Formats: sequence, C-alpha cells, structure tokens
Amino acid sequence: MIKVDVSKCLGCFSCTNVCPNQNITREETPETRSIHWKRCKEECDLCVEFCPAKALTLVPFDQAGEEPTITFDLVACKICKARYATEPMLKRIESSLPEKLQKDSTGLDWIWICPVCRRNIEAERATKQMVLGRTRKSP
Amino acid sequence: MPVYVDISRCIGCRSCEVACKRVHGGKGHVNVHMAGDHASVPIFCHHCEEATCTMACYTGALYKDAERTAFDVEKCTGCGLCQLACPFGVVWSDKIAHKCDLCAGRENPACLVSCPANALSTDFELASRRARARAAMAVARGR
Repeated sequence: MIKVDVSKCLGCFSCTNVCPNQNITREETPETRSIHWKRCKEECDLCVEFCPAKALTLVPFDQAGEEPTITFDLVACKICKARYATEPMLKRIESSLPEKLQKDSTGLDWIWICPVCRRNIEAERATKQMVLGRTRKSP
Repeated sequence: MPVYVDISRCIGCRSCEVACKRVHGGKGHVNVHMAGDHASVPIFCHHCEEATCTMACYTGALYKDAERTAFDVEKCTGCGLCQLACPFGVVWSDKIAHKCDLCAGRENPACLVSCPANALSTDFELASRRARARAAMAVARGR
C-alpha cells in the first residue's frame, strides 16, 4: 500500500506513468489535476523509486488508511491565462535552475508562462526585424 | 550541431513540420509560426549549451551529448518536468517526453533536407554570410 507525503508531491505524471498495474490514476479538468492511489499489493516499488520528490513510501497493508487522493489547482499562464501546470512542479523547476537562467535576456519570468506562449514569444522575437523590413508603408 | 534557420528564406510552407512528423512516428518537434503576412519562422530545439531541460530531468533521460541535447527514452518516466523547464516550449511530454534529436541515425536532419527554400542548415555562419553577400550585391548595384 502506498503512503503519500502531501507536502512533497509535485502533482507530476511520473507515478501514474510507471505503475504497471494502473493502480495510480489521474483525472484532469481545465482547472485541476487529481491523483488517486488505489490499494495495491506491493508487488513492486517502481512508483516509489521514480518519484522525483521522494513523496511516496510503501507501508504494510494493515497500517494503511484510506486510499489517498490529492487535488491540485493548476497555475494559469501569465499571458494567455490557460491553466498549464501545478504550482509545486513550477517551484521545483525554479529550484533546479540557476537564477540567471530563470529569466530570459529581456528579464521575462518564462517559467510562469505556458509552453504555447513561450513558442509564440520566441517566434515574435525572431521575426520582428523581418516584419519591420518587409512591411510596405503604402501599396 | 543544432539546426539554424535563415529567417529571410523561410516561406512558411511547413515542409519541415511534416518531415519531422514523418520521421518521428507522427510526433513532430517543429512548429512554424507566421508573423502576419510578412514573415514566418520554424521554432525548434536550440540544443542549449546550458540546457534547462537536462537540469530539470532527475532520471538522466535528458542529457548533453557534445552539442546535442539528447534523450534516452528508456530512462524517461514521463513526469513532464522537462516540458515546463524549456524556455522555448519545444520539449513535449505526453506519456513520454519527446523533443528534437537532430534525427540521430540519419545523415542530416529531415527538416533540413526537406526545406525547399534552403532556409535550414547546420552551419551557424551561413545566414550571416548570406546577409553580407546580399548587402554587398546591393552596394555593387548602386542601391
């Protein structure tokens, strides 16, 4: 049976992906992500081994309480407001990167911007000069 | 070495997108963006020197292999951290992470070979050499 340290769980996809028995399920809505750990027979400890936050432990079946569920509110992109990630995941990325890489050359906090907007920003920057040069002032 | 783009040559045809999807089993890693009617540019992995995706990856599935930011599918748990750690939004994760691998095993990346406008190359200096040549031609013609 799996015990979850709620304060450590990032709400990532690791345990749901590695569980060979589909005992860990994930439910997504546009605003939230829920992870649910079903009772299991401790035949393996893949989820424990691969948890990036070391939030999972195996406990004997009789010591386990209810099946744990954690629900995360997803963080909204600073630009498009689409919800794209859990806060602990983004905080984890902040802590794993050196400070100078957390802002781009223009000082933008890219971690708090969704991947779609990041691509758009990059495209806008790359084409800026080109657009200026090609724009016709009059037909 | 990464793929470089000469934006002035890109015609926005999306051939690179299609080629990428074709050689990666339907999962592409190139996005062509249009800037109004005036310009277009393919957005893909920069193979950053200080690659933030590799720093976020805790299993070692993403790693630096000389200039290439490489990916070992066997080690990936599909956690999704790398997708959030890419400043350019060019690492994807659905069940498993996928990104530009510079077409490992092929002589040249498929996007580069298929570009009909010759906008892509692995030569960093090419775009600036072309720009200088264009400028020199303009001067020679007295414009």
